Amino acid sequence: MHRIVPFAGSTAKLSVQGVCKRFSRRSPDLPVLSDLSFEVHAGEFFVIVGPSGCGKTTLLRIIQGLERPSAGTILLSGSPLAGAGPDRGFVFQHDSLFPWRSALRNVAFGVELRSATRADAERSARAIISLVGLAGFEDHLPCELSAGMRQRVNIARALAVDPDVLLMDEPFAALDALTREGMQQELLRIAEATRKTVVFVTHQIDEAVLLADRIAVLSARPARLMRTIEVDLPRPRSLAAKRSARFQALMEEVWTLIAASHSVDGRQAS
Amino acid sequence: MSAKSSVDKSSVTTSSLDNFSVGPAAAGSATDLAPEPVVRRGAAERTDFLLSRGARALVRSLRRPGLRRPVISLLVVIAVWELVGRFVITNHLFFVPFSDVCRALARLAATGELQRHVAASLAAIAYGMGLACVAGVAFGILLGASRTASDYSEFFLNALYATPLIALAPLLILWFGIGLMSKVAVVFLISIFPILISTTSGVRNVDLYFLDVARAFGASRPQIVAKVLIPAALPFVLTGIRLAIGRAIAGVVVGEMFGARAGLGYLIYTSSQTFDVASLFAGVLCLAVIGVSLTSLLQGLEGRLVRWKPPVLED
Repeated sequence: MHRIVPFAGSTAKLSVQGVCKRFSRRSPDLPVLSDLSFEVHAGEFFVIVGPSGCGKTTLLRIIQGLERPSAGTILLSGSPLAGAGPDRGFVFQHDSLFPWRSALRNVAFGVELRSATRADAERSARAIISLVGLAGFEDHLPCELSAGMRQRVNIARALAVDPDVLLMDEPFAALDALTREGMQQELLRIAEATRKTVVFVTHQIDEAVLLADRIAVLSARPARLMRTIEVDLPRPRSLAAKRSARFQALMEEVWTLIAASHSVDGRQAS
Repeated sequence: MSAKSSVDKSSVTTSSLDNFSVGPAAAGSATDLAPEPVVRRGAAERTDFLLSRGARALVRSLRRPGLRRPVISLLVVIAVWELVGRFVITNHLFFVPFSDVCRALARLAATGELQRHVAASLAAIAYGMGLACVAGVAFGILLGASRTASDYSEFFLNALYATPLIALAPLLILWFGIGLMSKVAVVFLISIFPILISTTSGVRNVDLYFLDVARAFGASRPQIVAKVLIPAALPFVLTGIRLAIGRAIAGVVVGEMFGARAGLGYLIYTSSQTFDVASLFAGVLCLAVIGVSLTSLLQGLEGRLVRWKPPVLED
């Protein structure tokens, strides 16, 4: 509990404090996350990057309240979180749209749950749909949309509940390279337009550097926070930022950290 | 279009041409024919002119093999039926030609008897299946969503599904008496199980990601049922109902044979007692029409409601 005190007066939007996670049944000795602590400031685009399978998704699911941490606390705007809620919006990695709902009704889903009438929910969904550039596709079913469009709906669904924090779990991992770049550009635009606090998980280093204000680099399993890196590329950003020397240097820095984590991890295990 | 046609067409009057160019298909055929010799075009237009618009639509639809083939097979079966009834099995205690059945239908319809029987059977099917749908879907969701509920009841459900429950019809008639109630009970009992079981498996097959999404957005349990489980299981539910239709019709016939004063089953039974084979066939024909209509009605409903997914369960 003593950990909470130094953070009590801080301006952190989201504060992760000493979070551990072990799936006791499968591997009692090997935790997935070990003593993770970090803070995300209001309006910040915070990217968590780490090797595949290091527990990034688990961390995000804990923040969302879909899983419980084995130890540690998570504070949102200073108060501890219990369970899932509409103060956080979650963008899933997989295509998780409800296939029986139109694009508009998918976006309206989260709003509907909060006892809004269907008409109210659809009105606010309509605004978000045009924000993500899908105006005109409101009545299409997911099976009638391309993979990129479905992921836009996925993002819009999370934005529609007007969350304090937007959690994104490798949302572009399943897209082809061209669509992914287009979506990165779109996300830059949306994030800069809405000024949302975003926690974004990826294992793609270029994606992390392009999008982030700050990058948290996690080690291989069990995931520990190796370092956070400030990304000082100017905003508003576009894909053109990828060609700058600063971008290359930042990518190199992140890559070196991740590569080091593998060897450090090997030594610790022995 | 019509002006252009009337220039190089002299044998057809202007009024018939106006009539001719109404439908898009008719307009299209005139364009297609335009470069061909005058003789051929004239013949084609005369035929079209002679047919009324409704008949032309029928002919057009019969050009599609998907519609033409069932119609041909139906006509062939009716013809064979007629010939067998007239020339092969001539003893009318065993079999009658199709035309006799039509006459029996007309006679029954004229007295209002047919309508009474059809209405009685349809009422029993409607009430019985309506109750079975409500109860079957409700219990199906409960069993699909709750491990405890299904552990306690799985064995009995499978046993009841496999048992020919039609055997209980005489007992139900003892309980509920002769009339609508006992028939409704038979239809209900026999049609609930396909609906219940397919609803259960529909709910169990709901993609876990959908539940994750609902939980992430903070959905309560009732909300998860209403907004995720039911729509996701809907294709299974409709398939279950479609499977139940055949059983419900069998159920109503059996119920009416054992204890009723009206209904198609009653008509069939009493006709057999009086060796009126034509009326017997008339009753069976009505049941077939009811079965086919209800099934295609439900298929239409499936196509409308589950545009997003092809039917899953077929058995």
